[in-house]
Amino acid sequence: MGQLDPTFRRPDPSMALADRVRALEQRMEQLLPAPVETAAAAAPPPEPPAPAAGLQPVSITGDFQRADNGETRLPVAGYMDLHFNKERGDSFRPDFHRFVLLFGHSFSDRIKFWSEFELEHSLVEGGEPSGEIALEQAYLDILVKPYLNFRAGMLLAPVGIVNERHEPPSFNGVERPFVETTIIPTTWRELGAGLTGDLGRGFRYRAYLTSSLDASRFSGEFGISEGRSRGFEASMRNPATMGRLEFAGIRRLTLGGSFYTGHAGFNTPGVNPRISIAEADGRYSIRRFDIRGLFAHTWITRTQDLNRLLTLQTGVNPNVARQLRGYYVEPAFHLLPRRFGKDIIAFTRYERFNTQHRMAPGYLALPHFDRSAWVAGLTYKPTPDVALKFDYVFNRSRSTVLRPVDGINLGLGWWF
Amino acid sequence: MVVLMRHALTVLVLAGLLLAQTAENRKPDRVVTINAERFAFSPSKITVKQGQLVEFVLVSDDTDHGFRIAGAGIDVAIPPQGRGEAKVRFIAREKGRFVFECSRACGAGHNLMRGYIEVK
Repeated sequence: MGQLDPTFRRPDPSMALADRVRALEQRMEQLLPAPVETAAAAAPPPEPPAPAAGLQPVSITGDFQRADNGETRLPVAGYMDLHFNKERGDSFRPDFHRFVLLFGHSFSDRIKFWSEFELEHSLVEGGEPSGEIALEQAYLDILVKPYLNFRAGMLLAPVGIVNERHEPPSFNGVERPFVETTIIPTTWRELGAGLTGDLGRGFRYRAYLTSSLDASRFSGEFGISEGRSRGFEASMRNPATMGRLEFAGIRRLTLGGSFYTGHAGFNTPGVNPRISIAEADGRYSIRRFDIRGLFAHTWITRTQDLNRLLTLQTGVNPNVARQLRGYYVEPAFHLLPRRFGKDIIAFTRYERFNTQHRMAPGYLALPHFDRSAWVAGLTYKPTPDVALKFDYVFNRSRSTVLRPVDGINLGLGWWF
Repeated sequence: MVVLMRHALTVLVLAGLLLAQTAENRKPDRVVTINAERFAFSPSKITVKQGQLVEFVLVSDDTDHGFRIAGAGIDVAIPPQGRGEAKVRFIAREKGRFVFECSRACGAGHNLMRGYIEVK
């Protein structure tokens, strides 16, 4: 100590023992760090959250990362989708199709907010044909019980596979399936409220009351897909009902059934057609083989009156059908063993979709709306959240006059 | 007296460490593999017995997810598909229902990616 402190002087050995001890105490007081009062004045360290008495954590091991508080509070996530599309006889057309940011917030363990904000086709310009900025979803979840929760806001229609699971790495093919864009609109969102829950044994459901479709925008070619309100000038005069029951009780198997029913005549005075959709889908993976499929059927009432009214309003007969139908099957195979950490998926998808499956009396179905497509391609995933996609689309229709052209698509999509 | 108290404290600390060490090292009473996939855990309802040492093996079938047991101080990130697994061990001390949820934003249905543990 003498070597470290040049001011240190050994107490005089001739002093009484008590004096020597006192001298040493004084010296110690000088050398000791700040008094206790100073330490007490500093802010106390934050207390760790008290663990629930019922579950006592013991260890966390494996290839984990501890999620810090910031991640728990749900910061920004998102996905991007860049496409290069080429139709036969045309050149490649690049398109930054989707730039999507997702924001969420947990007000508490029971009240949570979630939203999705999208810029399509990279540019929005007033008065010019360009992309769109859209609120795809924005809702509040009030979580009460596992089997009963409330949800309200801008909701994604729980119909089909892709409408709720549309992150680019989660489906094969550059573009979404034709059936899930023509027979079932995508991305289909409506204003509304409803119930969600997990019934146990792998069953879960969603049931909503929402704004209705707009029949004035239906057409023979695109069916009901242009009739979604997207939360803009929506009508709740005749709220629609939509729901989905899903079974995911067996690993890597998901079976689902969805329905929609509601009137759509708030923009067509005197004609208030009812739209009903029934849909069934399934996804299954076993070893390196995946398969998914979907069937959807749509009914529209009073199409004779609707076509007549829209012809009077616009001068063009929209030729809306009274029934639409579509289905697809998509087998896929993972070419690389799982241990590689990378994935190459070869897939093919057969789709059949007819937006004029049944017509009202006096209206003729056009054969070029009775379409089918073979889509064959590859998806390369260097990581599970990045997908480089390639596919070739063989388009066919029943028409012998209007032949649809084939196309090549390249895409790069990622999720973060 | 002070010496006695010191010895007692040391014994208590050692006993605590030994117990924790035992719980970490001993074979769990129950091992449950939970698969996480947008936007569900499978299984989403897990029943265990009171007092059991439980181990959850958490595997993702797509992107990285989180696994958080509300109020229990457990919150881990599950690595994406093919990048390994996370293991969580806990002792079910009390009867009751404990909610777990995904704690990493994983897509449109993230809020509903939940499940619960029933301790009986």
